[in-house]
Amino acid sequence: MIKPEKQLTIPTPTAKGPQFKMPVKLKDRRRVTIYLTLLVLAYLTMVTLPTMLPDHLNLKTASLTFLQNIQIMFFHPGLSNTTFVQLIQALLESILLAFLTTLIGSVIAFVLALVSFRQLVPAWVGLAIQSFMALIRAIPNVLWVLIYSVVFGLGANAAVIGLTFHSVAYLTKVYTDSMEELEPDAIETMRAMGLKNGPIIRQALVPNFIPSYLSWTFIRFEINFADAVAVGAAAGAGGIGYQLFMASSFYFNFHEVGVIVYLILVFAILLEIASYHLRKRVMGNQ
Amino acid sequence: MLEVKHLMKSYDGHKRSLTDVSFTVATGEVAAIIGPSGAGKTTILRSINQLIKDDEGQVLLNELDMRQLNRSQLRQARQNIGMIFQNYNLIEPLTAIENVLHGCLGNKSTLAGIFSLYRQSEKEEALQLLQKVGLGNFAYQQCRHLSGGQKQRVGIARALMQHPKLILCDEPIASLDPKSSTLVMETLRQLAIEEHISVLINLHQVDISRQYADHIIGINGGQVVFDDHAEALTDTAAAQIYRKDLVLNEEAAV
Repeated sequence: MIKPEKQLTIPTPTAKGPQFKMPVKLKDRRRVTIYLTLLVLAYLTMVTLPTMLPDHLNLKTASLTFLQNIQIMFFHPGLSNTTFVQLIQALLESILLAFLTTLIGSVIAFVLALVSFRQLVPAWVGLAIQSFMALIRAIPNVLWVLIYSVVFGLGANAAVIGLTFHSVAYLTKVYTDSMEELEPDAIETMRAMGLKNGPIIRQALVPNFIPSYLSWTFIRFEINFADAVAVGAAAGAGGIGYQLFMASSFYFNFHEVGVIVYLILVFAILLEIASYHLRKRVMGNQ
Repeated sequence: MLEVKHLMKSYDGHKRSLTDVSFTVATGEVAAIIGPSGAGKTTILRSINQLIKDDEGQVLLNELDMRQLNRSQLRQARQNIGMIFQNYNLIEPLTAIENVLHGCLGNKSTLAGIFSLYRQSEKEEALQLLQKVGLGNFAYQQCRHLSGGQKQRVGIARALMQHPKLILCDEPIASLDPKSSTLVMETLRQLAIEEHISVLINLHQVDISRQYADHIIGINGGQVVFDDHAEALTDTAAAQIYRKDLVLNEEAAV
């Protein structure tokens, strides 16, 4: 509840004096807080930015080198240490890593979402599950992979388990939320017909839930792909991320980095097109 | 057939929504519950199949007290009660025939329910029911593409698929145009006569209840203020049911 700071006094038309300016928004404490925070942040940025520059850095040459590298990356992509087939293989590895973790994650998350769905189970069960999931979500995806790579050793196992772990926490949350947003009437109707929970879920919940299920799972697939690339470098899980890491930090070959970035870009665009058509198809059925 | 005795319900513990409601509905009878908004009509209807847990009283369906049943007994008892809603409550992405088939899931196994395994005879019956309510050509249409009147008739077919002894209708025509309303009410009336199903309807319209019901129950302020044949409902009696001060008195008294 936002409370106005002051009670507005609206003058009667007969009142004389300076014309009354009617505000469109009432002043309230929350807006003031936001403006103050932004102001303080702007001030801090202005003060710290110049002092951050180390003395030996020449801003002009640094910017020029940066632009040069960008130019090498994007206008002169080329391969020397790896073959194109190897890179495609690595890209597929990353895609499969994202696909696998999304698939496992969505199955586990769907079950957990049902178990924490208020219309089917007591509220405290849902609250317990959701709190635990929030705890998992609070730690970033890549960090989970690193934690698991301590347990399982660097490599694909840690990547799969770490990415799945975070996917489950994320998807459980969004699945439960979209289930709660659905009309409760359908489930109540089925209950009034004397059905058990299993058929109720399948016949009343699932058909209404499919569109949001698909769109959320697809978004998670995109996130998992980005993370799979990052994890490839960070946890030695292989894939395109590992190639990117080698090309940029080991061989310092910006031509190759360019090829890899283009590959990832093309895949991201393909993914976007696929998700658009998928969504259109599901929505088209409605 | 259906006997409601001394039903009481309070949502917040002290203000009563229902005070001592008693009435009976005979087999094959169309009974209408009328009364102003907030009088407790929906509460009564939902107490009958225990979607709402009432506080005191008895709901006897063929001598069986709905309030004393355990979970699985209640599930079985609910299979004998069809329900029709103001908002139709169909599963919109599914086809009309799939929605009708839901009506027979109550006496099938959980596995059959999960994998939508229906017998040939059940599918044929569902199609026949759809034809009966005049929607044979719409069997494979998604319900979201149907009009309000059509949806309500799918709802009726779904209730019939349960082979119910009693059909509860919660404001079945409140969102429909006059033509669809007539069609829905006539279908319900016909069912009571042909299939000997008791029909209990919550209604807003006094005229329609006079026209289609055998028996009218007037509710005001959570109390039965009229309970008689439809012919006995004179204009004065109807005005009495909708009297506002009764509601106010009730609030003051409790």
